[in-house]
Amino acid sequence: MGTIHPDVLHRQTGRVPRSGLAKMASHIKKDRQLLILFIPCMIFYVLFRYGPLYGLIIAFKDYSVYQGVWGSEWVGFEHFRRFFDSPDFWVLFKNTFLLGLFTLLWGFPFPILFAILLNEVRRAAFKKTVQTFSYLPSFLSVVIVSSMIIDFLSPTHGVVNEVLKQLGFAPKYFLTMPEWFRTIYVLVTIWQTMGYEAIIYLAAIAGIDPTLYEAAKVDGATRLQMMRHITLPGIMPTILIMFILKSGAMFRVGYEKVLLLYNPMTYEVGDVFSTYVYRKGLLETNYSYAAAVGLFESVIALVMLLLSNFVSRKAGGKGLW
Amino acid sequence: MVKKRRNKVQFSVFDLLLTVVLVLVAAVTVYPVIYVVAISFSDTASIVQNKVFLLPKGFNLNAYKAVLQDVRVPRAYLNTILYTTLGTAINLLMSAVAAYPLSRPNFFGRKFFLVAIVLTMFLNGGIIPTYLIVQKLHLIDTVWALVLPNAIWTIELLILKNFYESMSGSLRESAVIDGASEYRILLQIVIPLAKPALASIGLFYFMGHWNSFFLPMIYLNDPHLYPLQVVLKDMLISDQARETALMDKAALTPQAMKNATIFLSMVPVLMVYPFAQKYFAKGIMLGSEKG
Repeated sequence: MGTIHPDVLHRQTGRVPRSGLAKMASHIKKDRQLLILFIPCMIFYVLFRYGPLYGLIIAFKDYSVYQGVWGSEWVGFEHFRRFFDSPDFWVLFKNTFLLGLFTLLWGFPFPILFAILLNEVRRAAFKKTVQTFSYLPSFLSVVIVSSMIIDFLSPTHGVVNEVLKQLGFAPKYFLTMPEWFRTIYVLVTIWQTMGYEAIIYLAAIAGIDPTLYEAAKVDGATRLQMMRHITLPGIMPTILIMFILKSGAMFRVGYEKVLLLYNPMTYEVGDVFSTYVYRKGLLETNYSYAAAVGLFESVIALVMLLLSNFVSRKAGGKGLW
Repeated sequence: MVKKRRNKVQFSVFDLLLTVVLVLVAAVTVYPVIYVVAISFSDTASIVQNKVFLLPKGFNLNAYKAVLQDVRVPRAYLNTILYTTLGTAINLLMSAVAAYPLSRPNFFGRKFFLVAIVLTMFLNGGIIPTYLIVQKLHLIDTVWALVLPNAIWTIELLILKNFYESMSGSLRESAVIDGASEYRILLQIVIPLAKPALASIGLFYFMGHWNSFFLPMIYLNDPHLYPLQVVLKDMLISDQARETALMDKAALTPQAMKNATIFLSMVPVLMVYPFAQKYFAKGIMLGSEKG
C-alpha cells in the first residue's frame, strides 16, 4: 500500500531524533496539520463504528435505558441460551441459510454469462445500449423494486396473473404462498444485481490477451469454442475471488428486501436473522436479546468469510488475504 | 468466396441468437419501469380492466394532480431533497478531508488507522447498538440521525484515498516549497484535481441517500419528517396488508397514484442516470480493486 514517492518525503529531512518517544513526538508535531484534518474521521469511526462494537456487550447484559450500556446488569450467555432454545432458532437458521445459498447458487452464474454474451456482441452501440439498460435496476430503491414486484404478482391486477389467466391457468397470489417466497426473492435479486455485477467480469474479459483469440481463429475455432476455452479460463481468477466474497457473505441476508416482501403468511420461510433482530429489537424493544442474535449472526458471517478464504487457499487458489 | 460465405452464415445464426437473448435481457430490465410510467398516466377504467401493458391507455394527468394535492408526497419529496443534499455534502466533505492524511505515506499512525478502518468492514455492532448510540445522542427524529451514523462509507473513503495516492505529486511539491499549509494544499490542489473521483463516489452517496428507506424508518417517528421512500413504503405495505386481508379494492391507494409517486421518485435518478452510469461502472471497478 505505501510506496514512498520522492516528492512526499519529509519537509524537514535534516535531523532524525534518536529515542522512540522523541521520534514520535516530532512525528506528531510535523504531522499536526494532517492530524487535525483527520480528527473528524477519527471521531466518526470511534463513535459510530467502534462505539456499536463496544455496545455489543449488552448482548451479555440486561440492558435498561436508565442504567445505560455499562451500568446494566450482567447476565452472561442467558440471551444466547434463550435464543438457541427457542423454536425460532432453527427456523431462522434454515431460512437464512437457504435464502443465502439459493441467492448464491442461482445468482452467481448470471452476471458471468451476461458478461460473456455481451462481450460477443460486435456492434459497439448495441452492446453499450444493452449494458446501460442492465444497470438500471440497481439504481432503483428496494421500496420501488418491491412495489413493482407486488404489483406484478398481484392476483387482482398483476401482469403475471393476467398472462396466466390468458393461458387458462387460475390466478395465484404468489406473495402469500410460502413455496414461492424464495424463488421470488432470488429472481428479484438476480434482476437487481446482474447488470452491475457483470461490470467486474467485463473488465476481466477486457484484460484477456487478444492474441489468444487471433491464434484460435487461425486454428479454425468457433466462437462457442473460444468462449469456453479462452474467455472462461481467462476470467476464472476473477470468478473465484467473487465466489469467495459471495460465499463469505452468504449469511448476510439483508433485511430490507425481506421486510418489504414478506407478510404474516410467508414468515415461516421469509424470516431471517436480520429481520428477526429488527423485530425483536426495534419493534419489541428487546435490545439485549436482539443484540445477542445480531452478534451471533455476525460471528457466523465472519466464520463463513474466514472459512471460504481458507478453503480457497487450501485449494491452491488465491485467497483474499 | 465460398469460405467467406460459410463463415458469414455461422456468424449470423450465432449473432441472431445472441441479439435475441440480449434484447430480451434489456427488455426485462427496463419493462417494469415502462409499466410504472404507463400505469401512472392511464385512466382508472383501463387499469382496473387490466388493459395497460406497455403504453398508457386513456392518457391523463389525474394521478399526478392527486399526488401533488396529497399532503404527504410533496412534503416527503422536499424532505428527501433536503436529506440527500445535506447527507451527500457531509459525506463528500468528510471523505475528501479524511482521505488526504491517509494518502500521505508518512502520515503519523497511517498503518494503524488504515487497519482500524478496514476492520470495520468485517466487524460491526449491527443495528441495535448503533440505534442505541443514535438514541443516546438524541438524534432520533432529526436529520442528523440519517446523516451522521453513515457520514463516511469505508469503501468510498478507500477509493478516494487510492485516487489521491495516484495523483501526481509535482504540484504539491511546488506548493510545499512555497510554504503552503496542508489545509491549503488539500483545498486548492488536491480536491480540485480529484473532482472526477469525487463525482464518482458522490454518485454512490447520492443514490444511497435518495433510495434509503430503512434508516429513516427506524430513526424518524414523526410522519412530517418522512422522506419519499418511507411514504412509498407505507402506501405499499399497508396496501399489501389490505389486499392480503381481502378487503375491498376501494380502500387501496389508487394504482395510478402509487405509480405516479414511484415515477416521481425515480425522476432525479433517471435524470442523472445517463451521466451517472459511466461513473457507476468506474466506481464499481475501483471498489473491487481495493484489495
